[in-house]
Amino acid sequence: MKKKTVRCHDVLGHICEELDTKLTSARCRALKRHLEKCPNCTAYLDSLRKTITLYASSPNPRIPGKARKELFAVLKLEHRHTGRKAASHTKSR
Amino acid sequence: MSDEELIKRAKKGDERAFTQLVKKYESLVYSFAFKMCRDEDKASETWQDTFVNVFRKLHQFDGRSKFTTWLYSIVTNSCKMKRRQRKLDQASVSIEMPADNQDDPDHDHPVQTIPSWRDTPLDSVMDKELRTLLDDAIQKLPYDYRVVFVLRDVEGMSAVETGKILKLSVPAVKSRLRRARVFLREQLNPYMTT
Repeated sequence: MKKKTVRCHDVLGHICEELDTKLTSARCRALKRHLEKCPNCTAYLDSLRKTITLYASSPNPRIPGKARKELFAVLKLEHRHTGRKAASHTKSR
Repeated sequence: MSDEELIKRAKKGDERAFTQLVKKYESLVYSFAFKMCRDEDKASETWQDTFVNVFRKLHQFDGRSKFTTWLYSIVTNSCKMKRRQRKLDQASVSIEMPADNQDDPDHDHPVQTIPSWRDTPLDSVMDKELRTLLDDAIQKLPYDYRVVFVLRDVEGMSAVETGKILKLSVPAVKSRLRRARVFLREQLNPYMTT
């Protein structure tokens, strides 16, 4: 059976979809063969992966204590730290 | 106590059960809100609005989807409402251009013309310039693309789950994700190749 060949344009068009999938389908195997010999597409794929990693790994700030107090006050729930009913000074929303 | 039990009790007015639900999911909601807004104040407001809406609408949750799927849909709606109130979409740019056509269709040779990205330290040692660049780039990304990118690539939701949350088809999720990734990559490229 003749192997499907792909070109850079095909790779760049589909590379995003295949980023997080196992390269098992016929198209994916063809993409993988292309990637093994094409430094451009490999560099492009690597840069897309790094883009995702940068966003996924950038740290989050903590939930501000003030925001938590306000929420619990609005909902009239017990504040988790004080164990008392939250104060009634709610922010006007 | 399982989510199912907490939800059942909270629906009956058990404040302690609802408080447990808030505690369990507050970090997930805040993290998602911050990744969408990239601003602590806006993330806090979205976080508060989300749990107020969860409190009001919990009786509508029928258990047919995962609780987290329902929760993400509440957060995305809260985000969208906030943006409408602030008319924030004016700051983003159009990415409707066909990304596929940006590449030369005749290009098919192994000479490397796409420069490799340098390795960059992550987390706490990420430098201020890069953080600012990441913030600016995602702010420029239109909301409809940003939410797909954050749900799929940052929160790790599947295309099917993302589609359920946003009421989009799986092909639409894939298309928006591809454009979002390419757009963000282009925004970071100058910094990462110099």
